[in-house]
Amino acid sequence: MSVLPFPSFLDDVKEKGLKKAVFELVDESVERLTAGMNVQDIREALRGEPASRKPNPRLQPHADGFWLHMRPGYFHSDMTGLYPTFRLGWLSTYLVFFETITGILLMVWYTPSPEVAYSDMLNILGNVPMGQLVRDLHRLGAEAMVLIVALHMVRTFFTGSYKKPRQFTWFTGLILLAITGFLSFSGYLLPWDQLALWAVTIGASMIEATPPQIVGDNLNLLIRGGPEIAANGLLRFYLLHVLLLPALLFVFTGVHYYKVIVHGHSLPPRKENIGEDTAKRVPLDKRVYFIPDVLTSEIMWLGVTTLILVVLCIWFYDAPLEHHADPQVTPLGTTAPWYFLWIQGALKLGDKVFWGIIFPGLILGLLAVWPYLDVTVSRRYADRRFAITFFLSIISFVTILSYMGLAEFGVRTSPDVEIFHEMTFPPAHNHVGKLLPVPYEQLVAGVYSTRQTSASPEDAEAAIGAFNAEIEQQMVPDPLVAGSTITLEERVKRDLEVQHLPLPSGLTFRTVPSDAPELLQQLQYFGDRLLAANNELYNAWGAIIISQNQDNLKRIDLVISWDEVKVENGEPVVGADGKPVLVLDVNGNPMRRVSTAHVFVHKDAAYFSH
Amino acid sequence: MFERMLVGRIENRVTVGVLAFVGMMVLLGWAAINEGGRMQAFTKMEEARSIEQGAALFSINCSRCHGTDGRGLAGFGPGLNSPQFFGYDFFPEITKQINDLSAEKVGLNAEKSLSATTPERKTAIDARLVEIDTQIAELATQRNGQITAAVDNGYDPQRPIRLNNLGWVGTQEALIVTTLIHGRPTSINYWPNGAMPAWSQTAGGPLRMDQIQDLARYVQNWNKGDAWTLDDLFAVKQFAKEPVDGAPLMALIEQLQASGGVIPEPVGTDITAVIEQVASVTGDPVRGDQLYHNQVQSQLGQALACNGCHQQDVNGTGPMTKGTFFRVQNERVNDPLLKDYTPEHYLLESILMPGNYLVPGFQNAMLPNFGERITLQDLADLIAYIKTMDTP
Repeated sequence: MSVLPFPSFLDDVKEKGLKKAVFELVDESVERLTAGMNVQDIREALRGEPASRKPNPRLQPHADGFWLHMRPGYFHSDMTGLYPTFRLGWLSTYLVFFETITGILLMVWYTPSPEVAYSDMLNILGNVPMGQLVRDLHRLGAEAMVLIVALHMVRTFFTGSYKKPRQFTWFTGLILLAITGFLSFSGYLLPWDQLALWAVTIGASMIEATPPQIVGDNLNLLIRGGPEIAANGLLRFYLLHVLLLPALLFVFTGVHYYKVIVHGHSLPPRKENIGEDTAKRVPLDKRVYFIPDVLTSEIMWLGVTTLILVVLCIWFYDAPLEHHADPQVTPLGTTAPWYFLWIQGALKLGDKVFWGIIFPGLILGLLAVWPYLDVTVSRRYADRRFAITFFLSIISFVTILSYMGLAEFGVRTSPDVEIFHEMTFPPAHNHVGKLLPVPYEQLVAGVYSTRQTSASPEDAEAAIGAFNAEIEQQMVPDPLVAGSTITLEERVKRDLEVQHLPLPSGLTFRTVPSDAPELLQQLQYFGDRLLAANNELYNAWGAIIISQNQDNLKRIDLVISWDEVKVENGEPVVGADGKPVLVLDVNGNPMRRVSTAHVFVHKDAAYFSH
Repeated sequence: MFERMLVGRIENRVTVGVLAFVGMMVLLGWAAINEGGRMQAFTKMEEARSIEQGAALFSINCSRCHGTDGRGLAGFGPGLNSPQFFGYDFFPEITKQINDLSAEKVGLNAEKSLSATTPERKTAIDARLVEIDTQIAELATQRNGQITAAVDNGYDPQRPIRLNNLGWVGTQEALIVTTLIHGRPTSINYWPNGAMPAWSQTAGGPLRMDQIQDLARYVQNWNKGDAWTLDDLFAVKQFAKEPVDGAPLMALIEQLQASGGVIPEPVGTDITAVIEQVASVTGDPVRGDQLYHNQVQSQLGQALACNGCHQQDVNGTGPMTKGTFFRVQNERVNDPLLKDYTPEHYLLESILMPGNYLVPGFQNAMLPNFGERITLQDLADLIAYIKTMDTP
């Protein structure tokens, strides 16, 4: 007899033997945990066999369990293929949880303060085991989530699933899309690098444009926490990112999915008669039960998606981390995150208020009320030519605007600055300045000129010799003393000294050594770029000057010298002979311009891995 | 179609799902195994890029005073790319020997000043002290001869370690970082072209802490460890200066003010020379009186207070003041020991070398350092005053 007032496990062991007693205990526990299915039921379900006992135990978890009570017990068989859902809704939901988990892991190592945020990132990348992978997964997952949620909306539009009675479901979905975008955007700032600061500065400046001015100014102040994004702004974005927006996301996900269940999943348009909604009336022979078919499918997609993310993050993708945020230094070619590029592109069309606020507001507003405007009954593609055309137009327009948002489009800097940038910019978006990946040992100290690359290899020595003589003799206006002239060599040396480059051996050009082919290649590229910009950088030559700064550190100075040309409205003026019109000094000589830039390269900086 | 073939059947879905999970676990395990190496590589790369950033910052902000090569600029800033800055001693043996000898010297001097020390021992100590000084001079000459250029440039080979010279007990990195943070606020006192300013935003400068860190890494990247060469030492254009104790400087300024701008020099103890010099100086008995009674200081800023021992009307530790000159004229110079002495000669020698002649009945209690504490003028004033004591 048991000492307890009810039969205990030990009594069972005595009565039935250990093995049987343990098996029964496990069986009973599993049945309780699954709210209705024992081990045998699960085994049968996974084997694809029909249930062996009645009532059907596979419906029991839907009736009794918490997690499955919100899932339907069966689906229409026309709904369970890849078409029409493409599993986009499920994947969106999964990514919410994926982002939450990876995000919590990152929170453990992160402090939202400009003093330490960036060093926290370096710590995550260099000192926390698997830290880089988790960060990559979080970032890539976020980008994937924006994409998948957007595709989910596109799919819903094309299949006409927003139509009555699902108008409100569509509306909540649009809110979820916006929240997803803002979640991703608010996370952008947290690494506190240059990419973060400037992408968010651009984004926040759109908020500033909100009319009337008093609203825009105060909204801007509210989100930035000050005139500039600093400690307060970072903390606000952090709290938005980890608290407010996720809370809203969870609430609206709940509403959205509740509406999906209430109205049922809409069938492919051709499977229903026009005007009918049979989602909730699934004939017996069309039923596909959640357990096991849909459940295995969902778990499979979850596994495959995660595997793809892991593979991408291990071999192909690294979340970007640029230099420490610096409000004093605006990087060239700053862009908003890709999913907001369309707004940045629109801003280039003109008025900040209209294109930055009203236009995106119109598009989102129109999409939000679209189900209430489009009250046609048929969901079939052939009957919805206008709606589909309209939607494709929006997609095309947004795509074109996104392209226009790229740094390449519309924004121009002076060509010498652009070329310097191309040659030396620090790693950003998995690109890096052309010179940085040149192997360290090929950065041979010396003074090199693009004149070498415009001559054939045999004539290179002679060309450089002639060039040395040329810059020693060519007299150019002295920018410091009006009316007097100095040699071009003196002029360049002086400019380099202003940049604190000591030139102990003077400015004697030489050819690139034969064991530095990659340096030669970049010199060639440099020369080609100058040639391409000949209209603005007329008669230009470029120089690469490499010096040893420390034992394991080299300094690369770039020089461009050209004849200044007249520029009107940002375009060089071209004369009747097809040549650009030069700016001349009082003596009628071309104004020779010199521009320099420099960068340092450490032996272990490993830029080649990008 | 792909879907129907591959995942239309439940067993295929289960297989694909299981494979995906297993594959993921294998990948994560593989990543975990490589994680140590990856983290090391990242840290190495990150440090390298930090040094690059530091180089750019140094070029813009620091090279103007510390030189583009970090070797310093004469009068502007000390070399950081310098064996002294990183504490490399080229002659550790000699440094140690000289330090040992100096320590011995300190011990001997202490022993000599003890009253228990016998005169014989004192003589032996004096001999050893002379020997030590010779040895130190020999060692220093032998060493300094090899690095004349650096010594001429202000390098002190006996104090080769910057951190020790500063009394810094933290790490070198900490010294660099803190110096960058707040600069050297008082260095305007010993650098002719201005003080090092604060560089961190914390202390009102322009740089963020991560930039300070980049700079510190760049500066430390000059460290050659044990591979420094004498050429590196000779290449240094400016060695570090150390802040000096301000008190002696202030005293010197006060002396200058007291002497009306003439740099006062101690009169010294070369009696023959002093007799000659003092003949051309007019003594002021009033100031002599004030000096004697500690109402003014000597031109070297010293309080003399002769009246502490030489009381006015009674003999104390020393003979009384009253009648001093009378006694000198009538008694002292008649002593056969003081043959050929003039009264002035006797007086000044008694002040400067008080142990040379003792008035009968008195101990040798007067300090022998007045030659270092007074100037020629002070001496003349004192003598002029004493000459007024010419009645018994």
